[in-house]
Amino acid sequence: MSHNISKRSIFAGAAIIFAIALISFALFGLLPVRRDFKAISASLMAQKSPDKQTITKEREEMIEKIISLKHNEALLKSALDLSKGDSISLLINIKDSIATLSFKGVTLFNSKISYIYLSKGLKKLPLSVRDSLLSAPLEVKEELASIEKYPVVIKKAPKDTTEANIESAPILPVQNDVFVLFSFENRVILEINQKEKRLAGSKAAWRAYKREYRDWFLRKNLLSLKNPDSRSYNYRIEIQLAREDARSIYRALPLKPNVVIALPRFVD
Amino acid sequence: MDDIEIKRESEKQHKPGQKRFYLFLFWSFITVVCCLTIFCMFLKAESIKEIAVSFYNFKSYPDSLSNSDSVKLTSIEKSLNRRVSSLQKRIENLSPYGIYLIVNTTNNTFVLRNRKNIIREGICSTGSYILLDAGEGRQWMFKTPKGQFRILGKIVDPIWIKPDWAFVEESLPIPPRGHPDRLEYGTLGDYALTLGQGYLIHGTLYQRFLGLPVTHGCIRLGDEDLKVVYKSLEIGSRVYIF
Repeated sequence: MSHNISKRSIFAGAAIIFAIALISFALFGLLPVRRDFKAISASLMAQKSPDKQTITKEREEMIEKIISLKHNEALLKSALDLSKGDSISLLINIKDSIATLSFKGVTLFNSKISYIYLSKGLKKLPLSVRDSLLSAPLEVKEELASIEKYPVVIKKAPKDTTEANIESAPILPVQNDVFVLFSFENRVILEINQKEKRLAGSKAAWRAYKREYRDWFLRKNLLSLKNPDSRSYNYRIEIQLAREDARSIYRALPLKPNVVIALPRFVD
Repeated sequence: MDDIEIKRESEKQHKPGQKRFYLFLFWSFITVVCCLTIFCMFLKAESIKEIAVSFYNFKSYPDSLSNSDSVKLTSIEKSLNRRVSSLQKRIENLSPYGIYLIVNTTNNTFVLRNRKNIIREGICSTGSYILLDAGEGRQWMFKTPKGQFRILGKIVDPIWIKPDWAFVEESLPIPPRGHPDRLEYGTLGDYALTLGQGYLIHGTLYQRFLGLPVTHGCIRLGDEDLKVVYKSLEIGSRVYIF
């Protein structure tokens, strides 16, 4: 076959594939990210402030401390606001690696976070933008989960006493593996996944979740392609907890729960 | 000799057609690879965006606070420190002063604690989430309610007043309200604490099922745990169920 196709054609083909890959990279990667960075930079530039060079090191540290205190204050205010509500809320403290369920200001449950992933875009955000993005309670807009919120088992009443007297083991709900995705209004995505790599439930349930997960992102990306002005970069935070802890947290939270995410000042 | 020449002639005639076919195959292959590239890039858009982020950086913009002098900054810092510690105190004060109980209905565990320490923790049994369907629209959902409750009453040697579903489960005729057949002694253990709406914290004969979601909505504890919980919680003490 190679004798029948000229070297020029092979080079042209390779160049076309390379060009297509580059265009796709620009279309699906560079452009959405650029749009996001441009919008944030514009908002930052709007804030008038003196030239960076005129600020002394000491003052810069002081400003840093004040920003940190302001962020801390905002988080505490969020926690206080949530305590006035009538539902259980979730606090993710990335700094201390703890996920906490709280109700009316009372800590109900703590779980150690064993793994944290923050998307690069989130790490690169200027502190002021990151603080404004995460300091208020975030209400879940959409969610995906590999387990049911309410593990209801339907049981038919026995027809007669003989059927009722048959000693049987208690009916327990199926315990699938726990993978949860919470999406918020400001393009923040929180994934709470089990830390155990070995599946406890069925592989089919896990595959079904993965399919749902992939389709969800595909749908989002399709929508952003249709509307080129929309910002489509997602600030993704993934945490891993013990399976049963993740299950407890997901089932304790109401539908459309509120989540507070506290990030440390510096993330790497 | 003539035969050989004829063969060469026909080979020459065949070659351009064969070449075109291979070229067609080659460009079809390139087209398929291109389409696959676009499709894969689209599928992996989230990962691609993460790579793309590496190409961008934000300029360092000083904060609006930079306009303030050191004296003003110090005063802002002091006032913020005051506000933060006041907020922290307000949050701390939200926890109950006395002893309270927290029940996890997913893991079927409980924690008896006060503001500072855990007094006792262990396993319990909570609602099974079974929906009992008796037909004709008669259904019962056996789940433990979630939220904040208070201990409304404390009972020693409680008697179980069997509700309708207990008879339906045994396929027995449902006796009228207040009928002696509804009373069952010893099933609920030595103590019971009432939470309202018929929900109790009580003992159990089925100790082997502790740690499993098997109840009709009540919270079952082991004998020793129940004794500690009964003695520690007062009427009005808070119970948090999640």
